[in-house]
Amino acid sequence: MAESTHDWSKHKRSYMIVCGALFVGTVLTLALAKIHAFDVGPPGPTAGDYVMGLSVAVAKSSLVALIFMHLNHEKSLIYKILLFTFLFFVGLMVLTIFADLDPIVEQYDTLQTTHGALTEKQ
Amino acid sequence: MSATATEHAEHAHDEHHHEDPFWKKYIFSTDHKVIGIQYGFTSLVFLAFGFFLMMVMRWSIAYPDRAVPLLADLPWFQAWLDDGGKVTGDLYNMFGAMHGTIMVFLGIVPLAFGAFGNYVTPLQIGAPDMAFPRLNMASYWLYLLGGALMFVSFFLPSGAAKAGWTNYSPLATTTDIHYGDLFWTGQTQWLVGMALLISSSLLGAVNFICTIINLRCRGMTWMRLPFFVWAMLVTGFLLLLAFPPLEVAAIMQLMDRMAGTSFFIPTGLNVSGMSFDAAGGGSPLLYQHLFWFLAHPEVYVLILPAIAIVAEIIPCNTRKPLWGYKTMVYAVMVLGFLAFIVWAHHMYITGMGPAVSTFFQTTTVLISVPSVILVTSLLISMWGGSIRFTVPMLFATAFIPMFGIGGLTGLPLAFSLPDLHLHDTYYVIGHFHYVVAPGTIFGLFAGIYHWFPKITGRMMSTKLGHLHFWPSLLFMNGIFAPMFFQGMAGFHRRAFDGGKAYEQISNQIFAEPNTFIANICELLHVIPADAPVRMIDLNIVTSGSAWLLAVAQVPFIINLFISVFKGDKVKNDNPWDATTLEWATPTPPPHGNFASEPVAYRGPYEYSVPDADEDFSPQFEGEAATVGDSEPEPAAH
Amino acid sequence: MEIPYEVTPRRDTGLYNAKLGVWLFLASEVMLFGGLFSGYVFLRLGVQEGVDNPWPWGYNVHGPYVWAGFINTLVLIFSSVGVVFAWVALKERNWKAYQTWMYIVVACAVAFMCIKTIEYKSKLTEHHGIKFQDNSVIEGKILDQTDKIRFEGKEVSMSLQSALPAFLKDIDGDFPTFTVKEGPEGTEGTELNSYSDLKSWYLKQRREASSSLAEERKRYRSELDAGNANPTPVSVVTSATLTAGEPFKLHGNPRKIVGHSDSALNYKDGSKVEGMLIDDTVKFEIHQVDMQLVLPQKQKDSMVWEVVDDDSVKKQFFEAQAKMYKEMRDYYEPRGEMIPEKMLRGHKLNLQKVHMGGHHDEEHHAEANVHKSESKPSAEGAAEEAHDDHGHGEHAYIEVPREKIKFMGNHGPRYGNYYAIYFTMTALHGLHVIGGALVLLFFTVFGKKLYLKNPEHLANRVEVGGLFWHFVDLIWIFLFPIFYLF
Repeated sequence: MAESTHDWSKHKRSYMIVCGALFVGTVLTLALAKIHAFDVGPPGPTAGDYVMGLSVAVAKSSLVALIFMHLNHEKSLIYKILLFTFLFFVGLMVLTIFADLDPIVEQYDTLQTTHGALTEKQ
Repeated sequence: MSATATEHAEHAHDEHHHEDPFWKKYIFSTDHKVIGIQYGFTSLVFLAFGFFLMMVMRWSIAYPDRAVPLLADLPWFQAWLDDGGKVTGDLYNMFGAMHGTIMVFLGIVPLAFGAFGNYVTPLQIGAPDMAFPRLNMASYWLYLLGGALMFVSFFLPSGAAKAGWTNYSPLATTTDIHYGDLFWTGQTQWLVGMALLISSSLLGAVNFICTIINLRCRGMTWMRLPFFVWAMLVTGFLLLLAFPPLEVAAIMQLMDRMAGTSFFIPTGLNVSGMSFDAAGGGSPLLYQHLFWFLAHPEVYVLILPAIAIVAEIIPCNTRKPLWGYKTMVYAVMVLGFLAFIVWAHHMYITGMGPAVSTFFQTTTVLISVPSVILVTSLLISMWGGSIRFTVPMLFATAFIPMFGIGGLTGLPLAFSLPDLHLHDTYYVIGHFHYVVAPGTIFGLFAGIYHWFPKITGRMMSTKLGHLHFWPSLLFMNGIFAPMFFQGMAGFHRRAFDGGKAYEQISNQIFAEPNTFIANICELLHVIPADAPVRMIDLNIVTSGSAWLLAVAQVPFIINLFISVFKGDKVKNDNPWDATTLEWATPTPPPHGNFASEPVAYRGPYEYSVPDADEDFSPQFEGEAATVGDSEPEPAAH
Repeated sequence: MEIPYEVTPRRDTGLYNAKLGVWLFLASEVMLFGGLFSGYVFLRLGVQEGVDNPWPWGYNVHGPYVWAGFINTLVLIFSSVGVVFAWVALKERNWKAYQTWMYIVVACAVAFMCIKTIEYKSKLTEHHGIKFQDNSVIEGKILDQTDKIRFEGKEVSMSLQSALPAFLKDIDGDFPTFTVKEGPEGTEGTELNSYSDLKSWYLKQRREASSSLAEERKRYRSELDAGNANPTPVSVVTSATLTAGEPFKLHGNPRKIVGHSDSALNYKDGSKVEGMLIDDTVKFEIHQVDMQLVLPQKQKDSMVWEVVDDDSVKKQFFEAQAKMYKEMRDYYEPRGEMIPEKMLRGHKLNLQKVHMGGHHDEEHHAEANVHKSESKPSAEGAAEEAHDDHGHGEHAYIEVPREKIKFMGNHGPRYGNYYAIYFTMTALHGLHVIGGALVLLFFTVFGKKLYLKNPEHLANRVEVGGLFWHFVDLIWIFLFPIFYLF
């Protein structure tokens, strides 16, 4: 790793490719949100659109982590540290939301049916 | 032994070639030992200050209708006491919030993790210093700055924070919100101070973990690490990964106060009968989640170093190996992991549903398993040993039952049903304080007595030590045991008049006249003869014990200062005949620690090895063959 | 004394100290941003329909600034690539290339922050909203800082036990000469000519008030101790009234004021200004009407229409809404589904662009509405808004009486939870960008000495700094979609 005679041109090429992929990914995210043809499910942003947008983001960030941050060949210790960090992060997010979605009493339903009023206008 | 001693002398001579100026050596030092001592000194001052706040609160609880003695004439108190010199609700709230904050974040954690961790960890793993000495210095100064801000906030027009050490929103967000200059209110400064303290802890945690992983000396394999180092490693990870969410909570609350956001402000909040000027839509529960995500692991940050110090002292004074070392190591790792997923047991009464609370009850009960393994191992370690009851050993021995009481009384709180009754009563206070006051603090006292000879080269006085220990043990229990009874009777923990207003509760009879307890209370002038002891009378027992506990600390303070100059000089570098690497250094250790590169030849607790010449076989003495072969090459100097 | 493994990796862990350290630091950063992301999800899922402020779709708010987020993403990605190339250059022992790449990276960081500033500035100064008492909302722009209460003060009173009175910051124009009318003994008649005069006078009086309070309480207690059950009560002058030599103008910050009348402004901190109210109506240039928090059956009688009082605007709103409704029905009915309640309460129906006053032509507007129905309404609305930004002259403004307002503000962090978390997260991220850029700049400018001494050490540093930089980039990759797009 330390020797300066190492051939770096291969690395440089892969970095350029990743850079290109990231640019494409960014354009794709934008397209997913802005172009009607990419709209999944009902009109407007819905769960399907979020999932698609976030998948692209996950793919992009994995590229950064794996190639730029060299996580594709790192020491096992770092994987262990990151694994636990990731677990605790997931725990924090999932358990917090889980606790919020399971109240002991149902929240007062503030929605009142709105269909009637809107159809009236038609 | 003698060969190494002469080597030390020679090396010590070499070291003195370039003497650093005073400020660099003792103030802006990068030496982990000096930083450790700085941490220790600062945190002891804060502990004393936090204790003082508590004594004032206890006065208000015991004698709500009498003026505070001694303090009423001090200028600062004039502004906060009422006309008659009695404690006001505001003052009580302020002291309550700051007592908790100071004790936890400015007292015990810095003492346990900052002071002992800094001083002892690199020595025990045979490292010349921490991995990032300058970062270490930065983390101390950040801590001091955060502490100073917290302290200064007492002198602001608004006084210090008043919303409890948990700083729950929306109370914390709306407290003192009417001040023109919101930034300079105690409540805001609490948040700024916390952000600094958290940053300090994060830097510290990175440094500790890095040091333990990368700077172990030759032969110091994972299973040869003293248990103290293991505990520090786990504590480091707890701080590293649990503190950031609290930092987030602090930033969000700071935004709520300063920028008018409503992260934790629900829609339609009314404060003092007026609609609160915020967009709303936030969730107070989010704050509690983020807070307890840190604050539960924080409990283990408080307790693990103490357990670990006790685990160092017990084998040394029983002359027996630590029982179940490996089990303890695994237990502490499991404990560290589980600590992250139990936090919502502090929140049973927030209205969470059965599924969630079942999850958290289960994990909470699970986490008691490794805790019990740790304590049981310590207990068994003493079995059948010929125990030397030195002062550190006295504290270490007392630690076990005290921590045991604290732990066992926690079990009812782990279940949501009893918790509904006990939440926010004195029972919780009693439980928590048994863990950290007679628990952790006894462990830390034990550590001070144990390592003092290494730090100063002189022993602390045993007589004064006994004078410190026995009253402390008595009064600690005098303070916290009555709280269980009051709590079960339903005494709310936040009543500044000690529950006087709740007649039915406070008049409940705790003991009939002429019983043992009633006689003791009569002796203490709490009640007249022939009268039953009421629950509320226990307030006086508790408060009296608290003030006497303060008196009991006087011998310790005298001992600490006198022994630095007048204590008996240690006979050699290893006065306790201990086995771990810190005792291989010259006394006191110079900058760079070891006179020659240390090597670990064996496990950390090899006492009374059969066929050995002495009853202890130090890690740093042995045959080259026992080093093992999966070791790093010698450090490249 | 030297710390081992500063440059060379340790054999059994395979890591040098700094690399292990930075990964640990990044782990804690993951938890830091993890906490914020959890907060984001928690707050967004926790929005109670019809009660809490709705969570806007990113491009609803960011319409004109999606380009900013987009370009910033590209800029950060490119800078990330730059850091890797700088590191490779060091590995190849090519100082020139290293330096060039590093300067490019720093330039990217500067560009990023500049774009960010433009975005922030526009949100804070160009976009405002007013929520009425019945929860209907109008979006647009508050003109000439008319959210402030214009007042002419003559006399002020304040407590001497607090911090400096809040009205001082609201004084507009010249600082008047104050004369103490009532106050602690011996201060009457004192003239205070400037802010600093008043400040030092105030602080002095505060000190003296607290010490005389102390004296009084001492006396009170000693009388109590002497057996007097009812001592003379403690009495200390802890407030002061000042009169201004000449009337002075105030721009009262409504957030610091609890209430006002024609003759007085009452501040939260207890200070009070007496005088004459000049004007307290808010001049508002209306761009959008938002009825998401109003039940459909009540929308026609909403408070908005009392304030706007222009039937053409009302018509525009309901026409556009009807079109949207039809579009939705066209989607759901062929599928045999009911339109979800959430949709009916959401942006699509209840947030519509409107146009009033000025000399706009109906043709253009009708066209826009038709156009809208073909695509996502809000995106189009937002894009149009950008278009409208060029011609402020076209908009007429309305005057909003203050008692109808429940909440008002710019699109700053205070405006709602979306804005709050947007500002918090992007600002925190921005701080990371600044910090990272400073460190990298330091390696570039002052790295030569270390490079000549031990190039591998410098390469290690750049690798470690680069890891942090990539992490900052990685966070932004998530921030872009969750704030700007979805």
